[in-house]
Amino acid sequence: MSIGLTVHQIAQAVASGQRSAVQVLEEHIARIEATDPAINAFTSRRFAQARQQATAIDARRQRGEALGSLAGVPFAVKNLFDVAGDVTMAGSAVLRDHPPANRHAVLVERLLAADAVLLGSLNMDEFAYGFTTENHHHGATHNPHRAGHTAGGSSGGSGAAVAAAQVPLTLGSDTNGSIRVPASFCGVWGLKPTLGRLSRRGCYPFVDSLDHLGPLANDVTGLALTYDALQGPDPQDPGCHALGIDPTTEGLHLGTQGLRIGVLGGYFHEQAGPAARAAVEAAATALGARDEVLWPDAAQARAAAFVISASEGGSRHLPLLRRCPEALEPLSVDRFIAGALQPAAWYLRAQRFRHLHRKRVNALFHDWDVLLAPATPLSAPAIGTEWIDINGQRLPCRASIGVLTQPISLSGCPVVAAPLWPAGSDGLPIGVQLIAAPWREDLALRTAHALQASGVARLRPPAA
Amino acid sequence: MTEAHTLAYVQACAVALNLPLDDERATRVALHLQRTCAMAALLDDVPLGPHDELVEIYRPAPYFPPID
Repeated sequence: MSIGLTVHQIAQAVASGQRSAVQVLEEHIARIEATDPAINAFTSRRFAQARQQATAIDARRQRGEALGSLAGVPFAVKNLFDVAGDVTMAGSAVLRDHPPANRHAVLVERLLAADAVLLGSLNMDEFAYGFTTENHHHGATHNPHRAGHTAGGSSGGSGAAVAAAQVPLTLGSDTNGSIRVPASFCGVWGLKPTLGRLSRRGCYPFVDSLDHLGPLANDVTGLALTYDALQGPDPQDPGCHALGIDPTTEGLHLGTQGLRIGVLGGYFHEQAGPAARAAVEAAATALGARDEVLWPDAAQARAAAFVISASEGGSRHLPLLRRCPEALEPLSVDRFIAGALQPAAWYLRAQRFRHLHRKRVNALFHDWDVLLAPATPLSAPAIGTEWIDINGQRLPCRASIGVLTQPISLSGCPVVAAPLWPAGSDGLPIGVQLIAAPWREDLALRTAHALQASGVARLRPPAA
Repeated sequence: MTEAHTLAYVQACAVALNLPLDDERATRVALHLQRTCAMAALLDDVPLGPHDELVEIYRPAPYFPPID
């Protein structure tokens, strides 16, 4: 049975002939059919095409051809990635009548080129503006560890599908925390690479200034293998600044010796509930990190990310907001309108602050290699929660879940979200962010690998 | 900005952007905008001088003359 095997284990088993890609695929299709009625992670399925692809992989192996690094690994993508032949919905009903994509998004093409097998597309908040995947068009995605609780968002389907062992690997997007929040709530590994590292071509945009794409997976080696397969320059994407490939998988075993690892205090301590603090403490103990570090202007960085997102997101969708606001997601349409109406002075000041902030963040990494912080202030709230309490502050739930991820988004630093299971979270996971300097995904992944090896960060079997 | 100021701003800007808003929606939008206003105020406190540029500035694409 291949359910629960890691990305690397599946790829090795298929490449060696120990398992066939078709066998692996059929077991995962059966898993999706058994669990998705309760979880609602998938918005579309392409099982017929996946069967053709898996059959072709097995035939190539039998002919003695070398297979890709993700041979036979089932994966699925957030439904803002173009998949040839499917309409890219981006979590919205208003795009339903648009023509289907005529080619795959670049990152989908790269995973297929590595012989991963695409099973379908996954639920999300409409146009990626949300942290809970409470989607009125497709229904809410439920947390595989607690029915009735959110899977996080906006890549909620991507987190839930991995946590439910429907697939070992997914792709998501992260503007203000949309990979790290579902990774935290669902208890899986997630990577938000450096802004500009991966091509965004063929993906439905939310905020040009902040959109990142990246993988979620059931172990760190799989995360690194996938990230390596996704890398590469893309001269046709003006937002992709990669000049080459910086492989990370081979360096995972180097561990944390010699790395200077600190713990973010101040803002990141104040905005975290007791269980989130406990998660960071457990990670810090396992990694031997003792020193507290202050992230420069964290509250202002969050504010800048918030203002930029609202303005760019609102402006992008202004034609829809004029024409058919009633057809849009009721939980986010008013926020989109508010963003469209923001004074230009707010937006421009946020972008000017960002220039200054980049210098301060880079200076911080002169003294540190990796910094730890909670990914979310608390564990997954129940679907429909309007207000949360963080250390006595009553805060609007949907806007506040990203309070710890947004400051890091602004700087574009790479972050691995690690799944921990602290005391005081009622058996639910909370993620810890492992943050490195821009373009140093290798250090975040090495640290994640060490944390996984310590046994502190890991997946747990889903409730059903 | 008071609640009343924010609501008036929302209604005036909506007209300028040709964005139809009924009173109920305008009130909800004003609430969101007030939260963002508090965020923007945090950035007002950051000292920025005239030479602090936008994080990225426009770069013209290479020009290639048309080939007849």
